Amino acid sequence: MRKFNITVNGKAYEVEVEEIGGASSAPVSRPAATPRPVAPASAPKPSKPAPAPKPAATAPAGGNTVTAPMPGTVLDIKVKEGDTVSNGDVLIILEAMKMENEIMAPASGKIASVSVSKGASVNAGDVLIVIE
Amino acid sequence: MAVNKLEDLRKRRQKIEEGGGAKRIEKQHAKGKLTARERINLLFDEGTFVELDAFVKHRCTNFGMEKLEAPGEGVVTGYGMVDGRLVYAFAQDFTVVGGSLGEMHAAKICKVLDNALKVGVPVVGLNDSGGARIQEAVDALSGYGKIFYRNTIASGVIPQISAIMGPCAGGAVYSPALTDFIYMVDQTSQMFITGPQVIKTVTGEEVSAEALGGAMTHNSRSGVAHFVSANDEACIADIRRLLSFLPSNNMETAPVFETSDDINKIIPELDTIIPDNPNKPYDVKDVIALIVDDGDFYEYQQHFAQNIITCFARINGSTVGIIANQPKVLAGCLDINASDKASKFIRTCDAFNIPLLNIIDVPGFLPGTNQEYGGIIRHGAKMLYAYSEATVPKVSLIVRKAYGGSYLAMCSKDLGADIVLAWPSAEIAVMGPKGAANIIFRKDIKDSENPAEMRQKKIDEYTAEFATPYKAAERGFVDDVIEPNATRPRLVDAFNMLQSKRETRPAKKHGNIPL
Repeated sequence: MRKFNITVNGKAYEVEVEEIGGASSAPVSRPAATPRPVAPASAPKPSKPAPAPKPAATAPAGGNTVTAPMPGTVLDIKVKEGDTVSNGDVLIILEAMKMENEIMAPASGKIASVSVSKGASVNAGDVLIVIE
Repeated sequence: MAVNKLEDLRKRRQKIEEGGGAKRIEKQHAKGKLTARERINLLFDEGTFVELDAFVKHRCTNFGMEKLEAPGEGVVTGYGMVDGRLVYAFAQDFTVVGGSLGEMHAAKICKVLDNALKVGVPVVGLNDSGGARIQEAVDALSGYGKIFYRNTIASGVIPQISAIMGPCAGGAVYSPALTDFIYMVDQTSQMFITGPQVIKTVTGEEVSAEALGGAMTHNSRSGVAHFVSANDEACIADIRRLLSFLPSNNMETAPVFETSDDINKIIPELDTIIPDNPNKPYDVKDVIALIVDDGDFYEYQQHFAQNIITCFARINGSTVGIIANQPKVLAGCLDINASDKASKFIRTCDAFNIPLLNIIDVPGFLPGTNQEYGGIIRHGAKMLYAYSEATVPKVSLIVRKAYGGSYLAMCSKDLGADIVLAWPSAEIAVMGPKGAANIIFRKDIKDSENPAEMRQKKIDEYTAEFATPYKAAERGFVDDVIEPNATRPRLVDAFNMLQSKRETRPAKKHGNIPL
């Protein structure tokens, strides 16, 4: 857990950033993406440190981070690290709202990391997979 | 008449038709854009365009403006035929002073709106303008105001279609925003209130014009635009297609096209299109394509809130507006964006006498704090409002899930659906079997020796008893449970029967839709 003081529009926020597991090289290669989720920290309770800020639905530059569109359970993972996928391939089956939702690749590429495991519960906006 | 007077007229007209001159026209083409006149000629049936106000000139004398020549005042206006039907149009000419809007430029557009409203025909606005002509100061500002006012007055009387075919920034965006449909041309059009430079100065954010207000931004993210077209030609072809689905005004019905697609067709594929497992998604567009004439439908906001599909299609040759849950995206849940998208579409159809077909497979409203904080209550209410308010024929087809408030929000019998049909796969209930069994039989499950087994037993019981269309049919909330293969003839029949539907509402200034 690392702590940052970040000032947005003159307002200071203390933000804790946790590195999520997986290949140690992966997070290092994308440092630019980390500060981004801070903006939504305009949470109703400014007294508390920003609650694990959820990245807005959109992925950071490049758009190859696949996030959960809604809260649910990971039913199946169709790919593993190092796999090559093309745009539209099914990556994950996310059971949510009584539906086995197919989470598809937004772009072609290689799977850099899979951030969740089978059976895991995820929240909307959680990173599921990173494609490089 | 003296020959020189004719010569003079011809010369004057030729000068105006040359717009900003060959050099600027070349520049326009180099950007992949057509000129205002080329666009107008594509829009109208050949040789039918009649120009108005070609000789209008600006009256500005500030900053040496009296010396500035602006042929046609930077906008081409007039009327003509689209597939033989009268349509008014204006096209801003970027080659003339950047298509900037001044007092007289606005006056030309206002005349188009006034005339179209008088004769009751659609208006197509082709926008390509650098914004207000700053030298004209408050006169330019007043011009925008006059256009906004007319857009609003004409709203719901004549269809208003805007195409953004170049820049459209600042106050200029609000005229399109007040119209019924917005087209954007990919890569060459942008809409924003404050541009990238202002944003950078004020908030420090760096963003490109395309990312900020490009066609895909507004089609997929903000929901400001309804259609995206690859280029100018495609955009104008799309507008002509849209016009074929619409009546000329709110007193008429859309043109009817004879169809060669058998209206009594039995479609066996529909019997198997819904997966046996209620948790498996499918593409509702396949259902739509099978039901409508020739499998042809035109999507409205195709890239926005894809968990609900809205489209124009024809059944038995007549236009219908279809609203369908899409189980493939977000499980088909209703959320803020889906509610906004569907509500505007429903109201557009109702305003222009286009009957509604609702295809329902909805598990509920999307749960989550961002939905609640975002005001899903007031956004979802728009759907209830729009459906209840609509007096056009309303036919609902429940194909699978129809749970709780979302079932009502998709136009249940109680919101005024004239005919509700259900497939045998329909599950109409307050909530899904799992949730319901857990609540109703909580005690039985807790007291049981084997709670897991008991829970499953109770879920199965509930499913058999309540997750069907028959409970609703017993009460008359569903008019009939039909074989899916017979859907097309049944819909043809329902819309036929409803053709003479008349429904009135109490007199009022206007309702108060939750916004």
